[in-house]
Amino acid sequence: MNLATGVQVVSFGILAVMMIGAALGVVLLSNIVYSAFLLGGVFVSIAGMYLLLNADFVAAAQVLIYVGAVNVLILFAIMLVNKRQDFIPLPRAWVRQVLTAVVSLGLFILLSTMVLATPWSFSTGPAAGDNSIVLIGQHFFSDFLLPFELASILLLIAMVGAIILARREFLPEQTLATELEQPVLTLPERPRQLVSVASDRNSSLDKVERQK
Amino acid sequence: MDFANLAAQLNAGTILPEGIVITTLMVVLVGDLIVGRSASRWLPYAAIAGLLSATAALYFQWDNVSPISFLGAFNSDDLSIVFRGIIALSAAVTILMSIRYVEQSGTALAEFIAILLSATLGGMFLSGANELVMIFISLETLSISSYLLTGYTKRDPRSNEAALKYLLIGASSTAVFLYGVSLLYGLSGGKTQLDAIAAGIANNSAGQSLGLVIALVFAIAGIAFKISAAPFHQWTPDVYEGSPTPVVAFLSVGSKAAGFALAIRLLTTAFPLVTEEWRFVFTALAVLSMVLGNVVALAQSSMKRMLAYSSIAQAGFIMIGLIAGTDAGYASMVFYLLVYLFMNLGGFICVILFSLRTGTDQISEYSGLYQKDPLLTLCLSICLLSLGGIPPLAGFFGKIYLFWAGWQAEQYGLVLLGLITTVISIYYYIRVVRMMVVKEPQEMSAAVKNYPEISWNLPGMRPLQVGLVLTLVATSLAGILSNPLFTLANNSIVRTPMLQPAVVSREVGQ
Repeated sequence: MNLATGVQVVSFGILAVMMIGAALGVVLLSNIVYSAFLLGGVFVSIAGMYLLLNADFVAAAQVLIYVGAVNVLILFAIMLVNKRQDFIPLPRAWVRQVLTAVVSLGLFILLSTMVLATPWSFSTGPAAGDNSIVLIGQHFFSDFLLPFELASILLLIAMVGAIILARREFLPEQTLATELEQPVLTLPERPRQLVSVASDRNSSLDKVERQK
Repeated sequence: MDFANLAAQLNAGTILPEGIVITTLMVVLVGDLIVGRSASRWLPYAAIAGLLSATAALYFQWDNVSPISFLGAFNSDDLSIVFRGIIALSAAVTILMSIRYVEQSGTALAEFIAILLSATLGGMFLSGANELVMIFISLETLSISSYLLTGYTKRDPRSNEAALKYLLIGASSTAVFLYGVSLLYGLSGGKTQLDAIAAGIANNSAGQSLGLVIALVFAIAGIAFKISAAPFHQWTPDVYEGSPTPVVAFLSVGSKAAGFALAIRLLTTAFPLVTEEWRFVFTALAVLSMVLGNVVALAQSSMKRMLAYSSIAQAGFIMIGLIAGTDAGYASMVFYLLVYLFMNLGGFICVILFSLRTGTDQISEYSGLYQKDPLLTLCLSICLLSLGGIPPLAGFFGKIYLFWAGWQAEQYGLVLLGLITTVISIYYYIRVVRMMVVKEPQEMSAAVKNYPEISWNLPGMRPLQVGLVLTLVATSLAGILSNPLFTLANNSIVRTPMLQPAVVSREVGQ
């Protein structure tokens, strides 16, 4: 074993331990913020695995998208919900946990048997190496052109949909009433019908706005 | 590879219908931005015109000599043309019925149509997708647009619940599908085109390996979610009950047709080595769907939930054609889907009209409707009887053809079960008809007693009337004059090269 393979084996071991440990932490910890940060750890370890496999573009994309976007989004969602409520353990919660563990273990055994038993067919082409970005670009503009272009429609409509779900409704018939009450700097929109706790916070926000 | 050479190889003319749909989508989005809210007067009609011209473009592509385009990513053979036509037509009828409904629910119409058009686009691309990446992206375009449509009336908590359930179950089923598809990539040595995958697996002699079986099961799980077959149907009743009714109509016809197109193409092209296995799995799905869908539908009190279970059962009937695996089997699937398009959408138009006028969709509220609104009663009765398979109507011939194809392919048990469950289904369809027609005036429900004056002049009612009459005529005439539809369905199968080797190998095997 020369130095290069030695480094590879050692870093594979470190990455694997990191990944499995962090993944177990995501599932087993009860504090959801810890779980979210550990999920970021899992994603980073997977990016390391990709680096070991010479897929540097995929590794960079993994870090940018999963750690930079998905994980941050999860953290934002947790912070926005911000529900401080003690978790009351269900009676007989262990039954569910045992069942989940059995199912997951069974699936793991099935899939690992499959990985070992199946005669996988390996690609005979040369490894892309440093050239991978050029190759990916060539594929995007030749045989993957149609899915690449369709993905732009998909992203457009996802963006439109996200705006529709997040925006306030424009209801012109309500504007007169609100203008009489609050003449200063109100948008012609009806605020969302919030639950009682949140509406208190909303009104305090309005006060802050008026002070400005 | 210079540009002119590449452009010639792409053969981009085959996606002209999809191009028209994309242009319409852009016109709807940008037109709404520029003109403002008053654009909702003409936008729906522009969208319908776009969808109809896409259908016309599909007609001119019939019998295309070189269907493979985009270097193998898209296959525009006759089978895909029929399915793309079904999806485009179902979207057009859905827009007809949604104009009044969306205005009444106080949401914006232009965005609704834009999302519906992108769902149509995803379904149309899915029907012709010939490569794994293309399949996945178009499946996602269809699914994400469907999630958005389901949650479109965001002030309604039932709609929110439906969207959340659909999103969570849909995302996990997509993940399972993606895992199965990635196994195919590994088994075939890095191929993504469906025929290359089959060849690669055969070369590698991995035909009976565990990996291929697991890939098959995972792929079927993804497909069965889309067509809402029985063990993967749990989302259907809740989503159908909660989401806006036009969306349900599209999900039950357009989305389901796209799922069946995917099933035919993926299973016959990529899994020819495990044909017996996928037939077996689909037989189990069909049995469960027919029994569960029809039996549970008996106990429903809400019209939309009943139609949800009925659509699960109809998916079970259609699967008989897939299991038969002969020319007649596939042709009967196409024929039944064509007929199902009109009768199911007609049923939903009636449900929308009734709920717009009375604000309810409980089955018991329909009693005595005949006295107040004969046209609605007639259309709903015809559509429901056709769904049940009563003789002179279109649904009867569709079912006969399906069962005949199944019987020819020696699926005796399945066909008998189909007959028995059809009888059960007739019971719950007739129950609604009896409720509307037979009741005495004093047994009229409160909703019908307060039935408003019928006026078709209100904004958005005219398209609803057009859709109502159109589906009524199509459902009643497609039974008697079904020969053109038969010819269309048969030609689409016979002239599809992809299906011919599968049929031949089946006949040799017997």
